[in-house]
Amino acid sequence: MNYVEWLRVRNFLRIVVIVLAIFVGLGIILRVSVSRYMSPDVWVHQAMMHPGVKVTHATLPDGTQRTIIDDLAQSTHAVIDDHGYAGKHIVITEPSSRAHHEDKQVNVGSIQVFENHSGNMTTTVIDTNGAVPMVYYMLLADIVAIIVATILAAPLAREIDGHLEITLTKPITRLRYALGAIGADVAGIVAASFLTVLAFYLCQLLFESARLDFSGLNSRAIVMGLAFPLAWYAMLCAGTTWLHRSYIWVLVFTLPIAAFVGVLTIIPTNSVVALFVHDVAWVISRVDPLTYVSFAQPNEHGLLTYSDSNFTLRLSMQILFFVAYSALAIFKWQRVEA
Amino acid sequence: MPAVLTVDPRSGVPIYLQIIEQVKRSVALGVLQAGEQLPTVKQLAIDLTVNPNTVARAYRDLEREQVIETSPGRGSFVRADGVTQAPKVAAEIGRDALDVALREAKSVGLTRDELRRLFEAAVERWFPTTEEA
Amino acid sequence: MSIITISNLRKAYGGFPAVDGFSLEIPEGTVFGLLGPNGAGKTTTFKCMLNLARPSGGSILFYGKPLVPETFESIAYVPERSVLYEWMTVNEHVEMTRRAFTSFDPVRARELLAQFNVDPRKRARDLSKGMKTAVMVALAFARNVKIMILDEPTGGLDPVNQRHVLSLMINEAAKGNTVLFSSHQIGQVERAAERIAVMDSGKLILEGLVDDLKGDRKIVEGIFPDIGFTLDGIANDARVARTERTERIVRLLVTGGAEEIAARLSGAGAAGVRVLDLNLEDIFLYAVSPATATADVVAKESST
Repeated sequence: MNYVEWLRVRNFLRIVVIVLAIFVGLGIILRVSVSRYMSPDVWVHQAMMHPGVKVTHATLPDGTQRTIIDDLAQSTHAVIDDHGYAGKHIVITEPSSRAHHEDKQVNVGSIQVFENHSGNMTTTVIDTNGAVPMVYYMLLADIVAIIVATILAAPLAREIDGHLEITLTKPITRLRYALGAIGADVAGIVAASFLTVLAFYLCQLLFESARLDFSGLNSRAIVMGLAFPLAWYAMLCAGTTWLHRSYIWVLVFTLPIAAFVGVLTIIPTNSVVALFVHDVAWVISRVDPLTYVSFAQPNEHGLLTYSDSNFTLRLSMQILFFVAYSALAIFKWQRVEA
Repeated sequence: MPAVLTVDPRSGVPIYLQIIEQVKRSVALGVLQAGEQLPTVKQLAIDLTVNPNTVARAYRDLEREQVIETSPGRGSFVRADGVTQAPKVAAEIGRDALDVALREAKSVGLTRDELRRLFEAAVERWFPTTEEA
Repeated sequence: MSIITISNLRKAYGGFPAVDGFSLEIPEGTVFGLLGPNGAGKTTTFKCMLNLARPSGGSILFYGKPLVPETFESIAYVPERSVLYEWMTVNEHVEMTRRAFTSFDPVRARELLAQFNVDPRKRARDLSKGMKTAVMVALAFARNVKIMILDEPTGGLDPVNQRHVLSLMINEAAKGNTVLFSSHQIGQVERAAERIAVMDSGKLILEGLVDDLKGDRKIVEGIFPDIGFTLDGIANDARVARTERTERIVRLLVTGGAEEIAARLSGAGAAGVRVLDLNLEDIFLYAVSPATATADVVAKESST
């Protein structure tokens, strides 16, 4: 790792840490004030207040405290299982007129809400011990990581901008120097992602259990969430090293341009011009890691999934981008003159 | 010792020649006594802020002209008979100075007689007879 | 033994040859001054030497071998302009250098920085140009290396610090190390350099020991009684490098045998023949800009 690049990374990570700490602080305040509205207990207490409601308590063999609420007047039946620290499991059956009309799954923090309709009755299952939704965490972490990657992403261009007499008169090869700089930045981006996830996890942990689950979708989200910013970084690295005289512009405009190109690939192709523009944009977007990023897709039931082939393809593209763009940057670096 | 030697790098005279001339003059005037130690090449170079090899060259020439002698490990010293050469050195310096002066005088076209008159006047100015008596 | 051998170096930018067939040998343990007007190709030569630029032709050898990254352990380089990282402190630069080179002595670096009056806690962007040069010089001289390559190492420094850099160079020479430096300050070159080379328009104009150049090169001047005089072939003497005739005055730049040629000039009928010493500045100016040189030499002699 290069000392100079490591200093750059460290200086910037300090800012990231401060911002995340502020965020955690705000999160604490927000959660405190909002938590009473989000707690399932509120609903339960409200339900128990209705006249004609029958409440039964029981203790299951494994220690779970079960509360059964029957509201015959409103045809509503609720079973609340309190597993203590492991959270609550609530099943509510009520007429569909009082609920939404689509099957839905909502995750907020570790609270999972699943609604299912059959006939004119709706069953809502609330689980307060859902696994930490890594998908959303990695989405947020990637937003931070992309910002970090963009800011760090011109290590070689910065050296070319007036420091080559120091950089290239050290007793290491140009290749080793470039790898050291890229390595420091990669470490910084990964660290920023990790810190962001940690910050959100801490927010959650203060108020409820936050069960970590690394299976299936979650692990895929983590892997993709780490790979995408690195691929993006590598692309910026290549762009800035080749256009080193105006590397700031490359850093500023790449994301807007990528977004714009992305938009162009979904414009309606109702004319020859539109078709042409669409095709050109489609081709350009093939070399953009943003095109291949995905954390999960909703299936026909609204559930998030990530098929093997889809994941493998997208992940491979990110890795390919990282390697290819880094190589492109290093190729230019080998040839640059002071 | 370093205070006695000064060199002017901007002069057209090479520095090593300046050093040689100044050491000889110091010996002739008795500022440098017989057996007195000179600074090392390195030390003199640092004191005068000049290249050490220039100093080394001066010392080599001084040794060849038998004004100083250098023993490895001990240093450079003014030769005992270097001091007795003082008059010889003085004569050399005097002759060089006169050569320069006369060449200048000749270059402006003074005749031999005019020159002799000027010379007598100058000698009177620099060596007033009242003092000598 | 030559520690640096430059053979027929050529470097062209576009079609323009910044260095055009330049050859030089730097002997070990010398302080070697490279002089030349602005744009002569000195900095380009340094860049080619250090693999900062790719030569268009020719070769450069260190210890008889081409430059490889390991060689940089034995080379300290001070570039002409500041290459410090504006956002880093001086201390961070010291740490960076310590990690890059095994031959670096951080204690000596801090000593030198103190001598140059640099506050090591300051960021490079808060330093004046002279202080930035001082930092680069301190970082270079804190390394125990055999070869120092310095491009204008006194740029922006006040006279006290300039003298300090000079002393550092002389110290290196006393230790037997090789110093190759370029400077516009002829006075410094006269003190510190044992050998010099003069470069102009990418080519080598002049080379030699400073002492010998000053000792041998003189102006022989004579005034003839009338304009229509002949020099009797004196000007064809191999030792006459330049001949200048202005009306009745003739000036010959000779590379040796000044007294003898002066005598011959007298013999050819010139009156007021005199031999003028040349210092390094004169020698340099005669090599690159003869018109300026003559005016200077004459002015100097007239004032004494």
